[in-house]
Amino acid sequence: MLVANRGEIAVRVIRTCREMGLRVAAVYAPSDRNAPHVWLADEAFPLPGDAPEHSYLHVRALLDAARRAGAPAVHPGYGFLSESAAFARACRDAGLRFVGPPPEVLELCGDKAAARAAMAAAGVPVLPGTGPVDDHDAPELAGRLGFPLLVKAAAGGGGKGIHLVREPGQLQATLRLARGEARAAFGDDRVYLERWVEGARHVEVQVLADRSGVVVFPERDCSVQRRHQKLIEESPAPSLSRRVRERLQRAAEAAARAVGYINAGTVEFLVGADEIYFLEVNARLQVEHPVTEMVTGVDLVAEQLRVALEGRAGVPPGEVSARGWAIECRVGAEDPHEGFLPAAGRIEGVWLPGGPGIRVDAAVYPGMEVSRHYDPLLAKIIAWGADREEALGRLRRAVDETVIAGIPTTLPFHAWALREPAFTAGRHDTGFVARWEARRPDPEVERAALLAAVAASVASPPPSARPTAPSRWVQAARVEGLRPWPL
Amino acid sequence: MTHRVPASARALLVTVAGRTHRVRVWPSGQSLQVSVDGAPPVEVELRPLLGTTHYRLTAEGASRVVGIRRQADGWTVTAGADRVVVRVEPDLPVVRRERAGPSAAVREIRAPMPGLVVAVEVAAGATVAQGQAVVIMEAMKMQMEIRAPAPGRVRGVHVAAGQDVAGGTLLVTLDPPA
Repeated sequence: MLVANRGEIAVRVIRTCREMGLRVAAVYAPSDRNAPHVWLADEAFPLPGDAPEHSYLHVRALLDAARRAGAPAVHPGYGFLSESAAFARACRDAGLRFVGPPPEVLELCGDKAAARAAMAAAGVPVLPGTGPVDDHDAPELAGRLGFPLLVKAAAGGGGKGIHLVREPGQLQATLRLARGEARAAFGDDRVYLERWVEGARHVEVQVLADRSGVVVFPERDCSVQRRHQKLIEESPAPSLSRRVRERLQRAAEAAARAVGYINAGTVEFLVGADEIYFLEVNARLQVEHPVTEMVTGVDLVAEQLRVALEGRAGVPPGEVSARGWAIECRVGAEDPHEGFLPAAGRIEGVWLPGGPGIRVDAAVYPGMEVSRHYDPLLAKIIAWGADREEALGRLRRAVDETVIAGIPTTLPFHAWALREPAFTAGRHDTGFVARWEARRPDPEVERAALLAAVAASVASPPPSARPTAPSRWVQAARVEGLRPWPL
Repeated sequence: MTHRVPASARALLVTVAGRTHRVRVWPSGQSLQVSVDGAPPVEVELRPLLGTTHYRLTAEGASRVVGIRRQADGWTVTAGADRVVVRVEPDLPVVRRERAGPSAAVREIRAPMPGLVVAVEVAAGATVAQGQAVVIMEAMKMQMEIRAPAPGRVRGVHVAAGQDVAGGTLLVTLDPPA
């Protein structure tokens, strides 16, 4: 098996391959030469450069690595080429099994407008919306749809090329913005309009399909998002009526059938007060797949491999029931105190959590340089509990004990979110993260910060006390040559 | 107040959440004693934990992991969900600079803190360069060089090695370079 990815997902796939007795070949960009996915694999092949187009998006180099490894199959992970019909086709042409849906299905799912039309035809509820629009007819179509609305890239994914428009005056500017983003990210500037549901929740259903039928897993809630990027996911979804849950399951199965889905995928929905609306099909393994694995005991990567290599899933078609509750936090190299700005730098030290009910999927190690080229995800911390309360308690504890030194991470955000009443009560919606931006520091932490800063200043004087200009010479003289105390 | 702040305590002005506090800090065994705004001192211990950013802070009966990063004029401290910006500056007894304008002035070099004069590195009449050490002082078991703020000629040396001085004591006077 060639694993054509990096980071935690490459490690995740390698683990299952090894459990199944498959030999694994990894690939790596120059800056990833010491990464865990390289040394956990049986062999590893270098890629030409660090930039994605010279590494994990470099089709020719990846196929060449597969050939040299003698690998009969390729697992694309998520992101990069995982939903590329062209790559799936190139694999097929090279005589390789692509672990994912066939190229035709990837093509249909990748064209959001076409997928919406297919769903509507199959009776799956879709949000009122349009096909691809041009700037000329957009205002009239938008007026008919009503504001606020979303402008979305037809070829979109990963939250890119999605913009909210609250009033008609913003429409043209937003169309330009979304087209520019879509062209840059997907090389396709077609956009369409879709109604916006205020206070909605993002709920998705994992499916696994082979030629004999569709396996439907318990739903996941991914409402904790920032700029359409997920931060916390859980399964099952909290505060969901039995009726809505059943409709989601039926709609997901219908959606999978409507596009002739094969292998593991996810059908995303928006859930309003009592309504469900199809959003899109993610034709790949998702970042948040572990929460489903934790509550069902099914190894989704193993199932992907079975479908791709043996033609059939190890789980019979129908619904899989959940046992207990699982919640996942994505720990990323982003600074939540600075608007989630990507953080670059060197990881100096890592302490990852463990203990009862905790699973960690990570690829973070001391000395690792966080590169601007790749996704900022460093680790996923997943907790399982007999109920939501137990899972939450374990996850809080696990997040609190995690330390990643050297760069800012999203850990403080998670420490906050897992204690926030709207989240603990399961009443949060996709607007939840706005509360983070509005909160004030705890006075007890301010007091601790004062004491810590005083102690740090004694051990090593603050730079303001260093000679900066002659006018501050007294301060300069005061601390020059101070040796730190043997703390 | 029943507690005593030793004469050797470091004096800091610490600003948190828009409020500035007068802080006195001095060592005590393996830890520090910290008095904030004249309150009885609390014992504080800060030990390196992981990398250059993470420490274990023990104070006021609680121990927690804090992330600390140096900023232009202080620190940012991250603990739990919160990040707090803390500005730290020396709380100097007296800071006197040039007496008569910045150019042709006699410069006074004063003790930045109470302590012991370990050595005097210059004699009257000597020419010194900017940044050259003129006096070595020791306070709280730490030695520091007191340096010339500007080039000049030593007009007078007012202390001797072995002498205990109060903060602000005149150490050396400099004439502008000829």
